[in-house]
Amino acid sequence: MKFSIFGSLNIHLVKRQSSLVSESVLIEKLTQRDQQAFQWLYDQYSPALYGVVLRIIRDDEQSSDLLQDIFVKIWKNLDAYDASKGRLFTWMLNIARNTAIDSLRSRKTQPFAAIRTDEENVHIVDRQHNTEQPNPDHIGIKEIVNQLRPERKQLIDLVYFGGYTHEEAAEELNLPLGTVKTRVRAALQELKQLFKS
Amino acid sequence: MNVTEYIASGILESYVMGAVSDQERREVECLSSIYPDIRHELDQLSEVLESYALSHSVEPPASVKAKLLDQLDFDKPVRETIVRPMPVNLETTSSPTFRITWVVAASMGLLLLLFSFFLLSQLRTNQKVLATIRINNNKMQAEMRLLRDQKTQTEHTLAVVRQPGTRTMELRGNEKAPQGTMLVFWNSLTKQVAVQVQSLPALPADKQYQLWSMVDGKPVDAGVFDATNIPDLVQRLNRSVARADAFAVTVEKKGGSPTPTFSTLLALTPVNA
Repeated sequence: MKFSIFGSLNIHLVKRQSSLVSESVLIEKLTQRDQQAFQWLYDQYSPALYGVVLRIIRDDEQSSDLLQDIFVKIWKNLDAYDASKGRLFTWMLNIARNTAIDSLRSRKTQPFAAIRTDEENVHIVDRQHNTEQPNPDHIGIKEIVNQLRPERKQLIDLVYFGGYTHEEAAEELNLPLGTVKTRVRAALQELKQLFKS
Repeated sequence: MNVTEYIASGILESYVMGAVSDQERREVECLSSIYPDIRHELDQLSEVLESYALSHSVEPPASVKAKLLDQLDFDKPVRETIVRPMPVNLETTSSPTFRITWVVAASMGLLLLLFSFFLLSQLRTNQKVLATIRINNNKMQAEMRLLRDQKTQTEHTLAVVRQPGTRTMELRGNEKAPQGTMLVFWNSLTKQVAVQVQSLPALPADKQYQLWSMVDGKPVDAGVFDATNIPDLVQRLNRSVARADAFAVTVEKKGGSPTPTFSTLLALTPVNA
């Protein structure tokens, strides 16, 4: 049965053990334009990609349109994906993030995404909890992420979701550039430790 | 390269955050393909960011999936791109580069060749000039040596002549040596005597000229000398001459004789008072 491959892959991903063999099978199926494979890919990754786009764009309707564009891009550019250069999910995340940030910048109707207020964060969390199939794994991750020091989280959000360069972030937060660079590294290293434990 | 330092520099974190320049991005991609430690750290950071993105997951509206399933072409493999004929591709992309490389190489070679010809001709010219200079130098050195010799002789002559009391007498050859002419320098105070041959017939190897001083009508040995063809050469004779009324020259066997052979008398001159 077709789903068995993807079922096992799903477990692998949830356990955060990248399985190159399974991923290469998935990519193989995708390049053969297999609809089941695409559906699996979409179901697996669309919440994460949508979450990223939503964080950047802050508009449900525009984010939905962009998510559609992003999956079309992924579909069309699968040949360009090089497994030796990085993981598939990372590759997809980069496409999503770049597409959203480009869209944000081209519209120029609003400045770069500022840091979200706590109120908005709560709103997103609520909405996530209200989704039909709450993913217990994601909730666990969320708790881990919330342990991150606030000033580090703020910086990651600014750079990753705001598309700020280190220089722009330094200006925005009124910090020396060196501090920004150190703090970005510290933030990711802290997250790494948090996820390991 | 120090991998640990590179990892600690924070560039990998900036890379996964999408906050690097194009050049830095290429650098990270290149180095991570070379160094497994960098690759490992990059993968870990990518996973961290994946988890971070996952933590923001929001279920998208169902309409998006429906639209996508409607929009995308399924079951039409895109494998053509992979089985495209590579040689054609290679030819079109690499041929101009190849040609340019050849042109550049050929022109470099030509330039190098021309330059070496230039250097060679320079070298030849220099060698010619050097040879001329060397010949001139030799000529000048020879001339200088000659001048120095002449100067030394002149000095010798002058040294003899300058001494107070030196008398100079000219001896002319008789019928046996009509062209013969020479000078005798005699200093009665120092008792030194010297001759300067100006023109005397050359002698066989076993013969020498001998000078005699006439004292009270008797010949006294005053030393032997050679008929040299070097002009102005003053030959000091190693005999002391205390008294002399006249000087005479005879041809004797090499080394001189105790008594003169009068048959070979060439010249005789009285000492002028």
